[in-house]
Amino acid sequence: MSSSNAGNRPEEVQLATSAHVKYIQSLDTRKDEYDYWLTEHLRLNGLYWGLTALHLLGHPEALPRAETIDFVLSCQHESGGFGAAPGHDAHMLSTVSAVQILAMLDAFDELEKRGRGSLGGRAQIGHYIANLQNRQTGTFAGDEWGEEDTRFLYGAFNALSLLGLLDLVDVDKAVKHIVACANFDGGYGVSPGAESHSGQIFTCVAALAIAGRKDLVDADRLGRWLSERQVPGGGLNGRPEKKEDVCYSWWVLSSLEMIGRTHWIDRDQLIGFILRCQDTEKGGISDRPGDMVDVWHTLFGITGLSLLEYPGLQPVDEVYCMPKSAVERVLSRYKK
Amino acid sequence: MADQGGSQHGIARTSRVRTEEQRRQDVEKIAKYRDLDERVRKELSQKRYTPETFQLTSKLLQLNPEYYTVWNARRRLLIYGLFSKPSAGSSPSTALPSSSLTATTTTSSDASSSSLSTATPPAPDPPRAGKSGTTADEGDGSPEQAEESKKAEQDNDLELIKQELGFTIPLLLASPKCYWIWSYRLWILQQAIQRLPIPIARRIWEEELGLASKMLIKDRRNFHAWGYRRHVVEQLESPELGGTSLVESEFKYTTEMIKVDLSNFSAWHNRSKLIPRLLDERKADDTARETFLNEEFGQIFEAINVGPEDQSLWYYHHFLMLNLVSPVGHPTIAPALTRETRITYVIREIEQIKELLEDYDDVQLIYEALIDYTLFLCQFLERKPDGSERAELVSWLDKVKKLDPMRSGRWADLERDCGLVEERPRMMTMAS
Ligand SMILES: [Zn+2]
Repeated sequence: MSSSNAGNRPEEVQLATSAHVKYIQSLDTRKDEYDYWLTEHLRLNGLYWGLTALHLLGHPEALPRAETIDFVLSCQHESGGFGAAPGHDAHMLSTVSAVQILAMLDAFDELEKRGRGSLGGRAQIGHYIANLQNRQTGTFAGDEWGEEDTRFLYGAFNALSLLGLLDLVDVDKAVKHIVACANFDGGYGVSPGAESHSGQIFTCVAALAIAGRKDLVDADRLGRWLSERQVPGGGLNGRPEKKEDVCYSWWVLSSLEMIGRTHWIDRDQLIGFILRCQDTEKGGISDRPGDMVDVWHTLFGITGLSLLEYPGLQPVDEVYCMPKSAVERVLSRYKK
Repeated sequence: MADQGGSQHGIARTSRVRTEEQRRQDVEKIAKYRDLDERVRKELSQKRYTPETFQLTSKLLQLNPEYYTVWNARRRLLIYGLFSKPSAGSSPSTALPSSSLTATTTTSSDASSSSLSTATPPAPDPPRAGKSGTTADEGDGSPEQAEESKKAEQDNDLELIKQELGFTIPLLLASPKCYWIWSYRLWILQQAIQRLPIPIARRIWEEELGLASKMLIKDRRNFHAWGYRRHVVEQLESPELGGTSLVESEFKYTTEMIKVDLSNFSAWHNRSKLIPRLLDERKADDTARETFLNEEFGQIFEAINVGPEDQSLWYYHHFLMLNLVSPVGHPTIAPALTRETRITYVIREIEQIKELLEDYDDVQLIYEALIDYTLFLCQFLERKPDGSERAELVSWLDKVKKLDPMRSGRWADLERDCGLVEERPRMMTMAS
């Protein structure tokens, strides 16, 4: 690893922590902006992105805890699944965000008391997710309409393991499905036959990590492919010959971390790239320098910096994309 | 989770302060949008599964194609209102309208009080009766009449399916990376299989290949479009649609895409996936397989000769090399090659790549390939690099380290793994 002095680089921009905190706090006050309404289908995901960023920035209290829990629970259906916002259909993606938020806020007790459905609490959510597994192939659908993607498989593993309910699904079959998604370059795609893609690599490797099967990853081959995602300028791209983008600071880097190859890219240059994507005045991080910021890239810029051990940030868990401390606290409940 | 849309990509940062005029326009747009959203929710909660409600969802989706709940509502509107009758494929769910409609997933009834999906009625009157002029329940039950009403139902469904395919095209062109539109379109196509005679359904699916091609002309790397294409091909090959293999034409398609743009790794990738099946279906013998492999090597090398900086080309070359040195555990192009032939080919490739250095002495990927393939050869022969190989490896690695300081950690590991430096502890231990 190249020696770094991220903490004192006078010529470089610093992480604009307080601006980012204010930016995230402002997100729910923008009801007079058209975009606020057009992105309602991402409300619960957005809350997870913002809250995780705040926890990593060391300001977990910047969003009010009780109101956050109330909102999350108001998105739940009788089936156990969560929609993106009240009135939106249940979907795996919002359900996983709900579980992650409740886990970060240490609110599983609230869930047990107030969760919907005949089983209630964690059990009802586990039931909803387990029913989305395709018992023939092992993969998961996003909702009742049946679209399948390794993103949903990872989401299921992430949420079920946080709920301590991974045994509700056929883990071995799901693992076999992931292996079938592997390509000669060491990467993974959306489904068997699909091209390797950094986002999908993250979901597959992280799902294997949760299943305790990282031994199935061809770490050297995958590591070289991932390290080749770093382009001049320091940013990472998602596939060969594509442009760099801050969100891949998470997908690529967390995958490298999971296979012990983070030192195969240039840490300082990536830190520099992410910092250049900040709006240091109004807060937020964008995909590339000079572009519009959003909460998605804000989170993945910060998680990237956290993995790179940028000073002042809480350590992020490379598998769950949540603060390490929260993951450890939740998972320790189930360890006997 | 991979990109879900809704996030900003490639939009220039502007001053976030709006003028009074912009603010006024926003307020107006929001009022219109929310009003429409409210109307759709109200119609659905009152179980009005009518063409009028359907029109409202069209308007709303045109404003916001990411609104997945409205795509779902549209599916329910079709199944319980506009299509002639529940399809055979969705029969288990007719009693529980909002439960799973696919064979692969079984969600329990999803009747939350807060969802649009509550609106699902148990058995609404089919409003399309007026459109087709008849329904299955009418008539005196004579075979002619049953036949006629079946035909009318299919015509009604065909018209709706075509209309939906037409509706999604401009939305896809405007938002080619929106997951929800792609998956809705596939659902509509699935309805064609379940509701229409095979030849008609097949024609509809065949036209989809045209759409996939069109989307790939717009963006050659769009992985939604590539995935969609693979899915359409798979369906067209299936017995459900009376299909036969399309592997030859799909292989040809990758050749065409590569000709247009050698850097199109998506096309190279698809090619690598098609080849094993292609050769099986051609019933290629060992000689034909060897010839095929050599032609692929020839073609990719020609491309590399022109653009040795292109990662895509090297990835494909690497794939071919794996066919030589790693013949176990996956389908290979020429499984019967003798050990001697394999060695000859690996050495031939290494020598050719060395010649590239005469024209390009500062292209990192060339040195990387030389290192990789020399190590491949040693592994295949189950021996350590000999004296001259070792000297070459050292000089190539020096070059790579100079040309590519970004990945110095990787080169240090490689140096150690090849035994080119003193043994020292790995920088980071394997996390597993
Ligand atoms: Zn991005």
